[in-house]
Amino acid sequence: MDDILIKILGAIATVILAFTVGMTYGGLSRKVIARIQNRIGPPWYQNFIDNAKLLFKVSNINHGFMQHVAPLWLIGMSVTTVLFIPVLNTGGDSWYNSWFPNLNFHGDLIFLLYLMVIGSLGMALGAGQTGNPNSAIGVSRGLTQMVGFEVPWVMALVALMIQYKTTSITGLMAAAEQQGTWLAFSSPFATLAALLAMPGMFRYSPFDIVGAPAELASGPVSEFGGKYLSTMMTSGSIFAFVKLTLYVDIFFGGANNLVELVIKTFILYMYPVLWGAVSPRFRTEQAVRFFWGWPVLFGIIALIQASL
Amino acid sequence: MMNINDKHSQKIVDIIKEYARKQSLFILAYGTGCGAIEIPPTMTSRYDAERYGIRGAATPRQADVLLITGYLATKTLKRVIRAYEQMQSPKYVIGFGSCTINGGMYWDSYNTINVLDKYLPVDVYINGCMPRPEAVLAGFDKLKELIQAGKAEGWKHYQENLDWYRENQKKVIVNWQMPDYNW
Amino acid sequence: MNSLIILLFILGGGALLSYFAFLSKHAFGQAVVWLVAIASPVYFFTQVAVGESFSFSLGGFELALGFNHYSWVFALLIMVLSPLSLIYSTGYMKSRLRLGTFYFSFIFSIFGMMGILMSRDLVSLFIFWEIMTWASYLLVIYRGKDVEHTGIKYMIFSAVGAYSMFMAIVILNREMHSFDIATVIQNFGNMNAADQWLTGILLLIGFAVKSAVMPLHVWAPGAYTNTPTSFTAVFSGGLSKMGVYGIGLVLLNLYSHSDFSQVGIYLAWLGAITAVMATFRAVFQNDAKKLLAYSSVAQLGYIVAGIGLGTELSVFAGIYLAILHGAFKGTLFMAVGAVERQAGTTDMTKISGLIKNMPWTFFAALVAIIALAGIPPVGGFVGKWMLYEAAINSEHMFLVILIFISSTAAFLYSFRFLFGLFLGQQEEETAHIKEAPAVMVVPMILLSLFLVLMGTFPGIIFKPIAAGMAELGFQGVPWHMSVLYNMWGDSVNLTYVSITFGTVFLLGLVYITLIARKGTKHKLSTKDIHTAGEIPKPEDNLNYSLDFYKPFERVLSPLLKHKLDVYYNEFGKGLEALFNFMRRIYTGNGQTYALYVVVFLVALILLSGRIFGI
Repeated sequence: MDDILIKILGAIATVILAFTVGMTYGGLSRKVIARIQNRIGPPWYQNFIDNAKLLFKVSNINHGFMQHVAPLWLIGMSVTTVLFIPVLNTGGDSWYNSWFPNLNFHGDLIFLLYLMVIGSLGMALGAGQTGNPNSAIGVSRGLTQMVGFEVPWVMALVALMIQYKTTSITGLMAAAEQQGTWLAFSSPFATLAALLAMPGMFRYSPFDIVGAPAELASGPVSEFGGKYLSTMMTSGSIFAFVKLTLYVDIFFGGANNLVELVIKTFILYMYPVLWGAVSPRFRTEQAVRFFWGWPVLFGIIALIQASL
Repeated sequence: MMNINDKHSQKIVDIIKEYARKQSLFILAYGTGCGAIEIPPTMTSRYDAERYGIRGAATPRQADVLLITGYLATKTLKRVIRAYEQMQSPKYVIGFGSCTINGGMYWDSYNTINVLDKYLPVDVYINGCMPRPEAVLAGFDKLKELIQAGKAEGWKHYQENLDWYRENQKKVIVNWQMPDYNW
Repeated sequence: MNSLIILLFILGGGALLSYFAFLSKHAFGQAVVWLVAIASPVYFFTQVAVGESFSFSLGGFELALGFNHYSWVFALLIMVLSPLSLIYSTGYMKSRLRLGTFYFSFIFSIFGMMGILMSRDLVSLFIFWEIMTWASYLLVIYRGKDVEHTGIKYMIFSAVGAYSMFMAIVILNREMHSFDIATVIQNFGNMNAADQWLTGILLLIGFAVKSAVMPLHVWAPGAYTNTPTSFTAVFSGGLSKMGVYGIGLVLLNLYSHSDFSQVGIYLAWLGAITAVMATFRAVFQNDAKKLLAYSSVAQLGYIVAGIGLGTELSVFAGIYLAILHGAFKGTLFMAVGAVERQAGTTDMTKISGLIKNMPWTFFAALVAIIALAGIPPVGGFVGKWMLYEAAINSEHMFLVILIFISSTAAFLYSFRFLFGLFLGQQEEETAHIKEAPAVMVVPMILLSLFLVLMGTFPGIIFKPIAAGMAELGFQGVPWHMSVLYNMWGDSVNLTYVSITFGTVFLLGLVYITLIARKGTKHKLSTKDIHTAGEIPKPEDNLNYSLDFYKPFERVLSPLLKHKLDVYYNEFGKGLEALFNFMRRIYTGNGQTYALYVVVFLVALILLSGRIFGI
């Protein structure tokens, strides 16, 4: 009984950590973009305030059951994924290390790839039910773009899995520990392919046509407000943390303690943000063609390297 | 256990609520008139409204503040009312420029309205023709003060006096074919 | 009497009886159909078991019937899916014409399928195969729509398959003097290499036609679209699995013990390419039924890829996916049929927003689509996972990428399907549409509940599959109730997924509906959306349904320029010219014909040594 209680507490701690880090990064990215544009920018905690305000909205509307539960698919997905992702290396010796290995050993990478789709599906269904044509257009673009970036991303992952004969994240991390270097150094092409696919996942410019505010009225989320938008924002923050941690775990040697984790993920996070800050926007087919160009080539090289 | 509904904890929640509401204002800029030209400088690097938590929202569902920038033709008024009614409470209206106060230079025009307050519950007026970005920011500050004091309750007023507003609206809008306002 | 014969008797007799019953009175016919739909599965699950056999001789052939563990797995699928679709049919086909023919062909095709699975010798296999093909052909042309195209295409491809299968059977018999499948399997390795190669390929062609592997898939989309939808559920869900069943037999029982074990890999590649091409075509369909037809071809591609790879895990995945595909595609076709019946069309540009009118159908379709897309925590994920892991474990990495592209692109049409029919604008013209009758809804719901169950406890059908795998040469396949293992020892524990996701979802649901219920306004009209302040009139069309994936089409435009159909049509034209030439041979002169006969006989005598091995 105590065992389960500790597990649940650990899970809650992980989710809170993911939420805090994700939200803070969201605020910091706004700040960074503002500095690039020679503005002062909002405080780093601005996203927390926005989220709270949306939660405190007095009226909330929905167009039906699917829209009502759409944010729940998202939050269910992001909480589940965060529990399956190793937040810290097993080798770390900090006092809080025992909190985070929630369900790490009960799922592998392919599973995670599919788990991550639940949220998008729920979101798409909710957006579809609003009947807003902009939402449907946004979903259609988002799915198309997903087909784009998933190809190099999966190529990179498959290359790693075959090279190290394991499909689990913990297995890949153990492999990195064993060889003493990050996988980014031993499999540079896979890392390149995965890194080039990453901005597509984060949907910053130039890959932000899915929710183009002026053109599509923010696309899929255009009919969501109040508590619905707040739940989505929460889930989005957790999910950002998930993606960053996943990249750090797989390619950049994981982290032994939280400080290292925060530094690594923040540097990694700055890459799509900075790229986005100075980029115009790709059309959907341009984005897909981008992903199917150099990133796929690197992916193929990585696959060949893995099979050698 | 702390009871979330007792008086003191409710007070704390209220403080957080009001703080969040005033520090995070998503504006739906309804660029009806020439005043819209003052919005870009307000938002971009010279005046940077985002540092006060003010940012643009794409749709009325996500927005808190309806910013009406200048004169309103009766045709536009219809759309503005619709946009306002689609926003989620609590919601605020800022009338921007003299035109929204008394018609401004269009005071005797046959197809613009003169006093916005008769049609939508305006929380803050920003005077000027045009008001400069500094004035706009000052207007937002005033709105924040009102929110903090719990006085920016135009949306409640609108709900309570819907009949009165509807009557005024119907007076100027000839082909009245609006869905009901029901939340 | 033997239980197998009784089962066949129930089905065959039921088919005939239903035909005559519908001739006399509609109610009698319905009663017979219900009787068959209830009696056959009840009898099957209570009385029939693996190991029972029955043999008799017919016209000099020794015929044997009996299930083995491998065919039992498929029999389970057929005996669950077919009765449900029969029950569904009684609602779906109400007030249509020629019901006698319909139910006769329907039940007779079930009879054929069960016969195929029972056959322990090649002759009865062939006979039942033909019965199944003809029964399904009658259903393809049942609506009399586009017969000259789809019907003929289906017939030609089936005939090609049947003849090549027949030829293979003849050659096998020449070598082994036996039709018994077990004997054939045993002695296959002793044949010379050329015969091994030839018979295997001929059999594969025969089976691959039914399971719609590229390039033999051309008939499938049209035929699936043209059949009455209640049968399409069986056609795509069950009948196509007969091809899978056969491919498994050929690849794993015959070829794996010969020099041609590599054929499976090529077949796996064909399967993966089929999956990609069919998925890309499915994405651009505007008709929901056609979309599902193309998607069936794509899903069969995965299954063939799994069986073709030939590793323990991949075959396991292939058979599991075959069962699951039966369940979810059956559900989806039933859902489309319900929409077709209630709304009169399945064109996604014409109808939308049916979720309010048909919530149960939507639920079933939603679950089935999640299974199709392979998203946890619904059963389809299990099969997809095992397929990927099998391909990765055996280091076929480009195959993995192909399958992955296909299944990622499958999200596109999955969403399109749900959005096109059930979500989007609720128009006034569709406001009168009601939920389908209970006989149609209940089978769908049952199947979708099965899919949900599979998401957490796939072990329920792992058990028969593992037993069946022993027949294919994989002894003692390990399986667990709800944990999946790959060959490298990495695992997924499905209970944790379901529990975590379920808990968070439920907590969220409680919060968002109950705790934060104040001020929540439910179920706005879909015209009440952000349109920049414009007020849409009731007749304004705000639906986004035409050219739904235009950007994707632009991406793929270089790929989609050519269609395999074109080549077949060109081929057909060439044949026509050939036959025109051939017609000149028939001069109408008796003496010329006599000459032909003589020439033919001489040729026969000269070549008989080659042909019959005399």
